[in-house]
Amino acid sequence: MRRAHGPLAAVALAVVVVAALTGGAPAGAQAPRDRFVFALSGGPDTLDPQATAATLAFQVNKSLYDTLVEPDDEGKLVPALAESWTVSPDGLVWTFRLRAGVKFHHGKTLDAGDVKATFERILDPATRSPKRGDFGSIRTIEVVDPLTVRITLAERFAPFLAALAHGWGAILPADLIARRHDFGTRPVGTGPFTVAEWQRDAFIRLQRFDGYWIKGQPRLREVLIRFVPESAVKVAGLLAGEFDAIDAIQFLDLPRVRANPNVRVLRQVTSLINVLAPNHSRPALRDVRVRRALWHAVDRQQVLKTAYGGESLVSNVFMDVTSPYYVDIPDPYPYNPDQARRLLAEAGYGSGLTLDLALPQPYQAHIEAGQLVQAMLGRVGVVARTRVVEWGFWLSRIYAGGEYDLTIIGHTGKLDPDGRLAGFGDPSRVPPNYVRYDNPRVADLILAGRLTTNPDHRKRIYAEALKKMTEDVMLIPLGTPVLYMGTQRSVRDFRQLYAIDTFDFRKTTK
Amino acid sequence: MPFVLRRLLAVVPTVLVVATATFLALQVVPGDVATIMLGVDARPDELSRLRRELGLDRPLVVRYVEWLGRLARVDLGTSVAYREPVTRLLAQRLPVTVSVAMAAMAVALGVALPVGIAAARRAWSALDLAALAGSQVGLAIPTFWLGILLLLGFAAAWPVFPLQGYAALARDPAQWLRHLALPALALGLERAAALTRLVRAAVLDELRRDYVRTARSKGLGEVTVLRRHVLRNALIPVLTVAGLQLGFLLGGTIVIEQVFGLPGLGRLLLQGIYARDLLIVQGAVLTIATMFTLLNLAVDLLYAAADPRITYD
Repeated sequence: MRRAHGPLAAVALAVVVVAALTGGAPAGAQAPRDRFVFALSGGPDTLDPQATAATLAFQVNKSLYDTLVEPDDEGKLVPALAESWTVSPDGLVWTFRLRAGVKFHHGKTLDAGDVKATFERILDPATRSPKRGDFGSIRTIEVVDPLTVRITLAERFAPFLAALAHGWGAILPADLIARRHDFGTRPVGTGPFTVAEWQRDAFIRLQRFDGYWIKGQPRLREVLIRFVPESAVKVAGLLAGEFDAIDAIQFLDLPRVRANPNVRVLRQVTSLINVLAPNHSRPALRDVRVRRALWHAVDRQQVLKTAYGGESLVSNVFMDVTSPYYVDIPDPYPYNPDQARRLLAEAGYGSGLTLDLALPQPYQAHIEAGQLVQAMLGRVGVVARTRVVEWGFWLSRIYAGGEYDLTIIGHTGKLDPDGRLAGFGDPSRVPPNYVRYDNPRVADLILAGRLTTNPDHRKRIYAEALKKMTEDVMLIPLGTPVLYMGTQRSVRDFRQLYAIDTFDFRKTTK
Repeated sequence: MPFVLRRLLAVVPTVLVVATATFLALQVVPGDVATIMLGVDARPDELSRLRRELGLDRPLVVRYVEWLGRLARVDLGTSVAYREPVTRLLAQRLPVTVSVAMAAMAVALGVALPVGIAAARRAWSALDLAALAGSQVGLAIPTFWLGILLLLGFAAAWPVFPLQGYAALARDPAQWLRHLALPALALGLERAAALTRLVRAAVLDELRRDYVRTARSKGLGEVTVLRRHVLRNALIPVLTVAGLQLGFLLGGTIVIEQVFGLPGLGRLLLQGIYARDLLIVQGAVLTIATMFTLLNLAVDLLYAAADPRITYD
């Protein structure tokens, strides 16, 4: 200790010593060619597809299990484990013809008994499945022959096929279900990969299942999914070559990522619709003139650009622009602060109005949008008091309890429009929905949409419902953001599935 | 009753109080595991059905008593969201957190002892002033920020260390150390800054004492004086504080585990809180509280080892 050693000198020394001691290869070195490293923001809670409702779980589960049908890139439902299917004219009886020769990971061959056992498992209260409600319309499941299964519904339910395509419709083997196998930690499905190693909150290592039913797939031998919560770390890892792909890039990081010649930015329009939601049960907001004034007061283009990224697409109806059920109508209440002030004065709030604006804490983009909205409303004499609340609080007090005047939230995509709209038209629901919207005409339309199987009829029905919602300002749609993912330049066929946001590694190569 | 046994028994009420407080706190916070599982798709009837199936509709007292009963049998229950026994989840993560905390402590002591002693021996020299200034800076830098800086520097820009993750000690000690190096630095340096000042003050205090003058006048070498006499006395307050700081480090790993993607207790606790998974939160808090209490006991015992004048009957 002759010379000055500050703590900083000690740091440098320690770094060098540890590096020398452990002498491993640089961490940023490329992973072996047959291992695909993917950084995901978080990990699954459980690998049992029927015990969870978490997107993060399905993002992993998609590689372990298959469903009877699945969405293609455009969101169309195409055959997966079911080769074909028919629906009876009354829409009640669904008959599925299964693909022959599909193997489960433990060697059993898929048959109709597995489908029956799987759906009975999800309906069994002991399974405590959060998604049981999606299968609630099933009355009976019959095995017609080893490759044919017949499902009878208690009532007509057009979204049934979409329910089967979601992750929780994953088919499990009947023999293991009977033995009460723990699918949560030791998953067995028909999927393209099996789990080689899972370290909770750290990574999951998937290995190619050689008996997969699609010949030549999956192409990767191994997929290592790392759970990386810090967005800065994800981007740094991509740029350093440590990750072959990352699930999301914040739009502020885009220029930096795009400047790197080794990586590629993938752009995908999401199936989200972000909204500014008013609570219709509040006296001021019960008046449609006030709600229209709010729509006029908010420069939605500006909010999208600043909070959700410049490429976000504005929507004038409560449906994401990628949905086949989206209707393109002109903005009925374009940005116009003067018009907003006039409408407020007409409604008796010319001297001002104070509203509470609740913003969900985990979503930084919604918080930023909220601050912009606050400033815009201020210009027309509406004082918005922002309140940032934790997610559990938002769900129970704002969403379920209705303790708010305004809030900003994103509605995630659904394979069937009923999934998004059902809550706004279900007369049996008490309270009706989080914005407390109650329009019998719209409720009738949503019900009709659920019972109609003809796609063209359904489109017309939903278009009318959406237009009516816009006219009533049920909520103020902001728009659909764009998702940016990053991969190394050599990566091919990496994609996220339409609406259900899961990743499909079957065709991916690096 | 021997001192150690008495102290061990005292852990029980502490842990019970902590457990009860955690339990009650989570009841007051709005939202439950069913609400969070169903999210924005929740239908009121679906919510109440799931609550019933998960047993969340049963009275508070019943659930509390049940939990206590299981606790007595060292069974912390099965997590609702993870569908796994909480003890298994904790056992997977405890080694990670203990590793990070210990490594951070090693960094803290490894920096604080030599720097503090050297600074005290040359009080108000350039070296001393640099150490004081350095520790001021160290105290001011937030741990997570230092963590991200280290990560971007030594794992991304100049990839000497792994970017994320953890390797078990038993499987590969070299990898274990490589994964721990940056988190331990990020977490340890702040503590090092605090400890350096303490070591410096304690050593300085002892150096001024009469016995040091006596020892020196007997012709003992500087190193002997320092090692045999000064440090023995100076280290007692340092040990106390270092022991308590290890407790803080356990808390500090919550942030650091998030930054470095380490699968430790802190991340489990955070996930548990986000998911409103009561049993996980209770299990994690309980583990941390128990460790903290045992740590205090260890510090007390270390006193006796460091200073023969202190004994416990």
